[in-house]
Amino acid sequence: MRRFISPRLILIVMTVMTLMSIAPVSAHGYLIRSIPQDRATLERSPTRLQYWFSEALEAQFSSLTVLDQSGKVVASGGVSEDNNTLLTARLPNDLGDGAYIVDMRIAFASDGHVIAERRVFFVGEANPNIQSGGTTYSANGFEIVWRTMLLTSSTLLLGTFIVYGSVLVPAWGNPAYRAGLLPPRVMTRLNWMVGAALAVALVGNLLALAQQSMVFFDAPIEQVISQQLWRVVREGSRFGDLWTARMILLVIVGVCYGLSLYLREDQPESVRGFWTANAWAMALVMGSFSAGSHAAGSPILPWVAIFNDWLHVLCVGAWAGGVSAMALVLPSALTPYSGEARRLAQLAALKRFSRIATACVVVVIATGIYSSATWIYSSSDATDTAFGDTLLLKVVLVGGLVVMGLAHHISLQPERYEQWVKRVGVIRQFVPTLRLEAILVLVVLGSVGVLGATPVPVPYFIQEAVPSPTATLTSAGYSITQTVTPGGPGVNTYDTQILRDGRPVEGLTVRLQLVQPERDKRSLWLSAEDAGNGVYIAAGGEIDRAGSWLTLVDLQEDEGGRERVVFEWAITDEARVEQTQVPRLQHFVAIGLVLAAVGWALYPTAQGIYRRLDLSTANVTVAIGTIIATIGLSAAGVVVIQNTQAEYEATLNPLPTIINPILPDADSLGRGEDLLKRYCPDWVSASLIDRLPRTRDEDLFTATEDGWQGFADCDGKILTDLERWDLVNYIRTFQK
Amino acid sequence: MQYQVILAHGALGIWDEVIFLSIGAIFLVMMGISWVRSRNSVLDEEIEADDGHSTNTTDPSDERFRLE
Repeated sequence: MRRFISPRLILIVMTVMTLMSIAPVSAHGYLIRSIPQDRATLERSPTRLQYWFSEALEAQFSSLTVLDQSGKVVASGGVSEDNNTLLTARLPNDLGDGAYIVDMRIAFASDGHVIAERRVFFVGEANPNIQSGGTTYSANGFEIVWRTMLLTSSTLLLGTFIVYGSVLVPAWGNPAYRAGLLPPRVMTRLNWMVGAALAVALVGNLLALAQQSMVFFDAPIEQVISQQLWRVVREGSRFGDLWTARMILLVIVGVCYGLSLYLREDQPESVRGFWTANAWAMALVMGSFSAGSHAAGSPILPWVAIFNDWLHVLCVGAWAGGVSAMALVLPSALTPYSGEARRLAQLAALKRFSRIATACVVVVIATGIYSSATWIYSSSDATDTAFGDTLLLKVVLVGGLVVMGLAHHISLQPERYEQWVKRVGVIRQFVPTLRLEAILVLVVLGSVGVLGATPVPVPYFIQEAVPSPTATLTSAGYSITQTVTPGGPGVNTYDTQILRDGRPVEGLTVRLQLVQPERDKRSLWLSAEDAGNGVYIAAGGEIDRAGSWLTLVDLQEDEGGRERVVFEWAITDEARVEQTQVPRLQHFVAIGLVLAAVGWALYPTAQGIYRRLDLSTANVTVAIGTIIATIGLSAAGVVVIQNTQAEYEATLNPLPTIINPILPDADSLGRGEDLLKRYCPDWVSASLIDRLPRTRDEDLFTATEDGWQGFADCDGKILTDLERWDLVNYIRTFQK
Repeated sequence: MQYQVILAHGALGIWDEVIFLSIGAIFLVMMGISWVRSRNSVLDEEIEADDGHSTNTTDPSDERFRLE
């Protein structure tokens, strides 16, 4: 058995498994909402295309191109300045009937992956011969190489540093060997392992930047180098941020490692210090992987997801990297020993490692459950998707690994598990089985990689299409149709089509105002752009919450009067484009599991600290008092901040005590104008116009009866409430 | 003065950078502490005091084998 489970075999399997895990890499993000929908048939040309994605996009490297049936480019666009998850393009005014192809090149900020997405829409009649392209991902061989190099070497580095500081030195430390406290043959083996892994990691990281630049710019490596395109990626993308952080950390690790070699003769005591310190630096390197993982695009508590993933990869690194490091070090360390001495030496190291591995396995399982809970929303997500299948495979493999680890754990403490030992026996030669466990760890790592590279299920509630609200009104011979897209709280576009006698009316001056009477909230007036063909477009984030909203639309011809129509909308949260989700019970349960697992893993350490504490009455009292005071002050601070924010909001925008019940449409404005001329003609002045933006409807309503800051009342005593509201509506028209 | 931002492209804007750099600073401090603590001789003295072959005890802290 020993012949077949050699370090070379471990290396080969490690490489194959990592390659297997990385080959099907695909992006983590997905399309949430599109306007128009894929293969939609529209009566008239849309004015704008909007595609919302589940994650932030890299603005410099994402684009959208619209082609007509002949392949001619008719429009192009990019990431919206207001929303970095929205890819949008303004269309020309004169798109004729026919099919239009939308080619998108999408670069996700979280992982730097680039996908191509092709969508189709039709103006006039649908053409079944033109197909949508769906989503394609162009794999790059370089990516497989650098991910293999970086993941394998980083895991081995973290595992080696942790094993050195927490297993080998405490178990085998010998002060006679001042440089590192371990015999030279062991330090030499460790130095070779770290040196080789570090070199591989540095080269892998350099390749990563080159490959990402090739993908972002769709350029060959020669161009990336000669035109220094890599600098643009390094300085202008999230991938570049993480790359820089990782490179700095790897250099720090390299410097510490170099100093440990350089100073091992003159200052041998410093060797152990540098090695121990490097474990912390490698923990940060592993964090850089989490910041570019599925977790970074989590719709639920993304920072919790990132920290959870970080904990996951740290424990995987300590466990898997540790098993690999032990398998590589043990043969060299045990060379001079045989018989009982060899057994005792093995037990000393393996018992310590077994405790670390057990704690890590528990944390890995708990954090894995939380990660799964982030992406699995329904039973079909678990049973009918590639992600669910891969997750199941991973669970089965981890189960096998746990069984094998358990066998090692029991064999290391036969006196403690006497009943089990009698039934199943014990492992006596640990080196071969440890290598076998290392190989199984790598298989599990492979499944972890496959899972990380498998697209997450698209939540069912995101796939539900919510139609955009639309309505048509007629006034003064105009037929006015307005559509609010997507029609939920957030950024919307307001498309208004104006026809007269069935023909589009161009050249009008059109402006819009969004009003929510129940909050007495009104936006500034928006000037709608004349997009031609009778379509006038505007956009903005005026609708900030669900509820009843009005769009006041004023139309004015060059030399004509002004017309007013008012659209009423019931804005619902269902129409909102959701990039974030509220955590559910399953997430809180999973977080509880993670905390319990971490608590359990750290319990021995906490116990050790507890033993060293001076638990005198005075100290305990001060400590408890400090903790209570800190929690109390923090909670009070949060409450005070929340109350202050609420009071500030209420001061700025208090809810009205009287709500305007009259739609400010043309009829109301006409009545209001008559009333103003008749009862309070002196009101309209520069002073009033100046004050209007700062004056609420209910104050104007009160003023019509009681007078207002220098204005006499409008004989309000003889006006009905409805007439007073007509007055208010008309006075509002003077607001700029 | 326009300074080059290193780590501020995330959803939290400037907080993204603050969180990243804070974690980095904490870990670098931990590196320093580990380095200083490992250099002093406390654990070395513990190892010296140990007999080197005391694996029969149930106390894990005593499971040491002085490697030659």
